Amino acid sequence: MESLFTWNFASEIVLSTFRMATPLLLVALAELYSERAGLVNIGLDGIMSFGALAGFMISYLTGNPFLGILAGALGGVLVNMVYAFCTVTLCAEQTVYGMALNIFAPAISAFIYRVYFGVSSTLAQATLMKTIAIPVLKDIPFIGPLLFNQTPMVYFAYLMVPFTAVFFNRTKAGLSYKSVGEYPKAAETLGINVVRQKYVACIICGLLAGIGGAYLTTCYVNTYSDGIVAGRGFIALSAVIFGHWTGSGVLMACLLFGFCDALQLKLQIISKDTPYQLFQMIPYVCTLAALAIMGAKKAGPKAKGKPYLREER
Amino acid sequence: MKLGGKSENIIIPLIAVILAFLIGGVIIAALGSNPVDAVGYLVQGAFGSKTNIGATLVKVTPLIFTGLCACFAYRCGVFNLGGEGQFIMGAVTAVWVTVSWGLEGPLACAAALLLGAVAGGIWGAIPGILKVFRGLNEMIVSIMLNYVATLFMGWVYTELLRDGSVPQTFPVPDASKLGRLMPGMRATWGLVIAVLIAAGIYYFLFNTSKGFQLRAVGLNATASRYQGFNVKRYMLFSFIVSGAIAGLGGAIELVGTQFRLMSGFALGFGFDGVAIALIAQLNPLATVLVAYFFAVLRTGATTMQVGSGVPTSVIDIIQALVIIFAVAGMAFVRLPGFKQRMLNRQRGKKEE
Repeated sequence: MESLFTWNFASEIVLSTFRMATPLLLVALAELYSERAGLVNIGLDGIMSFGALAGFMISYLTGNPFLGILAGALGGVLVNMVYAFCTVTLCAEQTVYGMALNIFAPAISAFIYRVYFGVSSTLAQATLMKTIAIPVLKDIPFIGPLLFNQTPMVYFAYLMVPFTAVFFNRTKAGLSYKSVGEYPKAAETLGINVVRQKYVACIICGLLAGIGGAYLTTCYVNTYSDGIVAGRGFIALSAVIFGHWTGSGVLMACLLFGFCDALQLKLQIISKDTPYQLFQMIPYVCTLAALAIMGAKKAGPKAKGKPYLREER
Repeated sequence: MKLGGKSENIIIPLIAVILAFLIGGVIIAALGSNPVDAVGYLVQGAFGSKTNIGATLVKVTPLIFTGLCACFAYRCGVFNLGGEGQFIMGAVTAVWVTVSWGLEGPLACAAALLLGAVAGGIWGAIPGILKVFRGLNEMIVSIMLNYVATLFMGWVYTELLRDGSVPQTFPVPDASKLGRLMPGMRATWGLVIAVLIAAGIYYFLFNTSKGFQLRAVGLNATASRYQGFNVKRYMLFSFIVSGAIAGLGGAIELVGTQFRLMSGFALGFGFDGVAIALIAQLNPLATVLVAYFFAVLRTGATTMQVGSGVPTSVIDIIQALVIIFAVAGMAFVRLPGFKQRMLNRQRGKKEE
């Protein structure tokens, strides 16, 4: 256990924290965009699993992980359109539909994988995305090699954070976007097309969550398996609550959960005597503990979870 | 059709099932198999022989429990997605009681069932407590606890109660196993317990004042609070009972059917339960029927895969489609536009 605090260990933890936090961050941002328009989507796990499959298939077939990411994004949007139609147009209950996605999307993914690769095939492997070092920044001593030698998707995810913050707080489009989640009636009277805005939110949500899923199979591991998402969608969901529906808050929450994940992987290697299952529990238990300590303040969009009917008074 | 009446509660799920099967048929045809043959194999697999009927009844038992678990909590307005974790904790407790207490016989079996329910109840109380006292989202908490329970079970079968080189627990001793309904059929008394509990829940929800209050909390928590109902207590209560139902189900599955814990135990039962409860419109008795329907699909799917080469995962898609169509259908008929149209039509008929 003396090796716990060496430089090498710390740097590996930092490196893998950022890697582990990336899919969480992408998906948490997806949820943030969805909830800001008043749509609580608990189907993130489902969207991710379909994104993971689409990303894997395309990167396997073309050998190009970037096309895989693109396919994951499209797949995510496609799946989330089911949710969008049912919750926005039909005003069905959002949690129920999120749950429906969680059942539906993994079933389809498993089916497609099985039909294409056969039931008992050896694990197919796709190409992983290569890391790209950013020319000047990577030479910064200490943090340079850790933070600026990652896959492009990592940069994309972290750049989305300031973009999101500026969009929601400094632009007119962002403010009217938020108004849909706060008080859709008022937004409608100001000439904002609430229904269209909600559909846009669903597209963004599907896009980012699909990318988050595709990240798992194009940047993280090079195979697809059922249950690859492993509840990350729900951890991302808690990250949004924990981060109080802001871009920076979500980032901090995801880094915390990513750190837990990185730590448990490392601990598994260091301490072989302790049952590995106990370490694997760490991310889930930490998420719970973080939420329990924070409590749920009455924050977040006012109209989240509520269906919007134009005709209703 | 009467608006908000009971007919649409039956018609819509039926339409959903038919639509889902049509799409399933298209998928099967696209794979190059004959959908009619495939369904034939499916029916044969589920009802073809005494063994097959028994196999379906074995599969339906745990699904009734997780379905009732989801149903009971949602009646009180809390979404318990942790049925799987509670089911697992019940099973882990049952294996612990029967294998390491040194007890054998019916007493051990009864103790396993009782403590399994208690363990499930405790596991279900955690999201309830965090929801009521800390305001946390019960869905997230219960899902997280599923993963924790699955990992805990992994620890139990790989180390704590491991039997030899294979990662699985010791088996339940023969004397402590749950009895079978009739010789030659694998279905156990667990099925009877499941149906009795469904009936009991139905009675509680629809024929007692406490059940009425619990449903009122689920329909409108604010109004119930002003009415003087203790909303928090009902939510916590419903979570504990819901967890106990799942825990009992886990214990029954272990001492009645599986006898050992191993990798993959209870996988997907929790979400299946949620799907069943939703299709059943949260009616405990309908939950039993829908669970049976799911079990028929499951057992039939295996025969279908062998007979016509259609992978069993088609069934998963059909199930998912049923829930999507059923819930969308219910939402559709509740839309104001649709209601208005129906009202207009009724009015038109009267004027004629």
